[in-house]
Amino acid sequence: MKTRISIWIVFMVAFSAFLLSAVTKEVYNYSSTTPLKLEVPKGWPKPLNIFAGNPLTEEGFQLGRKLFYDGRLSKDGNFSCASCHQQFAAFATYDHDFSHGFNDQFTTRNAPGLFNLAWTRLYHWDGGINHIEVQPLSPLTAPNEMAENVDSVLQRLRADAEYRRMFREAFGKGDINSQKMLKALAQFTGTLVSANSKYDKVKRGEDQFNPSELHGYEVFKEKCEHCHKEPLFTDNSFRNNGLPLNTYLKDYGRMRITGNPEDSLKFRVPSLRNVSVTQPYMHDGRFYSLGQVIEHYRTGIQQGPTLDSSLRKGIQFTKLEKYDLILFLGTLKDTSFLNDKRFSHP
Amino acid sequence: MMIKKNGSIRLITLLLIVTVSFQKKEIKKRDSFATVKIVFNNTVKNSRIYLYDSTYTNPFGEKYTITKFRYYVSDIFLKSTIKNAAEKNSYHLIDQGNVESQSFSFPVAPGDYTSLNFLLGVDSLHNVSGAQTGALDPTKDMFWTWNSGYVMAKLEGNSPSSTLVNNKFEFHIGGYAGEYNVLKNIQLSFPEDKPIYFASNKTITIIINADVNAWWHNPNEIKIAEHANITSPGKLALAISDNYKNMFHIEKIITGN
Ligand code: HEC
Ligand code: HEC
Repeated sequence: MKTRISIWIVFMVAFSAFLLSAVTKEVYNYSSTTPLKLEVPKGWPKPLNIFAGNPLTEEGFQLGRKLFYDGRLSKDGNFSCASCHQQFAAFATYDHDFSHGFNDQFTTRNAPGLFNLAWTRLYHWDGGINHIEVQPLSPLTAPNEMAENVDSVLQRLRADAEYRRMFREAFGKGDINSQKMLKALAQFTGTLVSANSKYDKVKRGEDQFNPSELHGYEVFKEKCEHCHKEPLFTDNSFRNNGLPLNTYLKDYGRMRITGNPEDSLKFRVPSLRNVSVTQPYMHDGRFYSLGQVIEHYRTGIQQGPTLDSSLRKGIQFTKLEKYDLILFLGTLKDTSFLNDKRFSHP
Repeated sequence: MMIKKNGSIRLITLLLIVTVSFQKKEIKKRDSFATVKIVFNNTVKNSRIYLYDSTYTNPFGEKYTITKFRYYVSDIFLKSTIKNAAEKNSYHLIDQGNVESQSFSFPVAPGDYTSLNFLLGVDSLHNVSGAQTGALDPTKDMFWTWNSGYVMAKLEGNSPSSTLVNNKFEFHIGGYAGEYNVLKNIQLSFPEDKPIYFASNKTITIIINADVNAWWHNPNEIKIAEHANITSPGKLALAISDNYKNMFHIEKIITGN
């Protein structure tokens, strides 16, 4: 009896709260949208709540996908997001240290792959971006002409009947505004999940490493794991991994954001998933091969006050360890992600 | 639990009544509300600001013109000994280049009020919650795209004392967390600290003066010759915010109609 009554009470409180909110707040017409769910691979940590206030829907995702591949988002119509973030390169810029673009600011860093962003707390190499929704403002704008740029993008979208339809289907009635555009883009980039590499299949018991890969995995766990932490292959921290300052770019990484000298030369530890297709490497794309990267850790570490303490003596490798490690890193390539039609040009 | 068998039915009825009467009250109340109109009157030492067109002098004798002057005002409320009256969804970008942005109104319950209070800037939560709309739309040129967060206040212009290109100076003041948090709670007490009665169906206009010359000094000396470019969160931004929090005073309150 008691429990029945308390169930009723809970129900009634919820019901009246619903009534109240329905009458006092503007209710979006989401009724005709198809809800989507972020796929969370088994055994992974909980994703961040990046879709708070931005319920995932098929319509929102498809709109974000169209925007991502649309050159009209740039000033001269040439540079879509996808021009720098190519699917076959796990949405990094393939084979370019600096991506080409209209905007100087964005040619000063190497474009990272885009995947598993719902497990990334701060975006960009220096962690300067605190929410996935506001990230696109960065490529869309030059520092001092932002208002003009985004406004003219919005005007182009408003003038297009197809966009008007898609925005309405995703977000209900009302004007196309920056918020809706940014939320749609976040629905696309935030749901890019890569978790089906050979490594993942081995973990799920569907495949097996060959002896070299297995040896490489042992080497990895011993020498790299504490920064490039499984299963995401990053611990999302900011560290100095001993790269000498690029004297041309003078990029001090995290310090630019925090103003704290202790953050000098620290960059976000990048994920190593799909690393065999995201060359060149590091924030400035200075290395073109994984062999070069490992040589850096072996012989190239630059000492300095902010160098990660685990790298003070560099990392020792035998030739065999080096080659098997590279073979293991190859097992992090997720072919089904690189070819997933849902993420390709619509 | 002290509820009887058919208690749930009574509960339904009760909650429905509460819900409905709550809304009714809300509607009824609005009729008898007072309206407060807030006007921001930006000046340099009592001289009107003409963007691009007038030359002013700061406390160090440095001459300057103003090309942009904007700041966020949020979480506005009137203090009362009984119950404070807050504006709902209270975010305003006061922009010297846009007259309409310089005044706004909202309803308050009739009563005695003693001060006007607001946050100078945008609360930290809204700096980390993704894309916003309205005054907080990130395309309003008050949001850093490389270091997420709002520019809480912006002053730009030219001065012969500046060593920057075209003698420009640019202050973009922000930072919502940690030691360089520039958010300032502003309290403007009514003249002589006397309560003012806001009568129902009346509009009370509060005219606030903001003096740009407060930016340069008291407590921190900021000379254009030394600092013409402060455009990221940090020590200097904090120093300016400790100055500009003193830029406001109530010029006049009109209780007329
Ligand atoms: C001109 C090339 C270019 C274009 C166009 C471009 N990006 Fe990027 N993108 C980059 C670079 C370079 C970075 C790294 C920036 C940094 O760390 O400072 C980046 C970083 C990102 C990140 C953060 C990834 C992470 O792990 O931190 C996301 C998300 C992203 N871009 C999405 C987009 C979207 C969405 C668009 C289209 C609106 C876009 N990009 C357009 C080059 C580009
Ligand atoms: C002390 C932490 C740390 C350790 C240990 C470490 N890394 Fe890194 N790694 C980093 C950081 C930080 C970066 C980004 C540096 C930058 O771009 O400035 C990075 C970048 C990389 C990159 C470039 C990825 C890309 O997309 O650009 C590769 C590849 C890499 N590490 C492989 C390894 C391997 C293999 C090991 C083990 C031998 C290893 N790392 C050990 C911190 C570490």
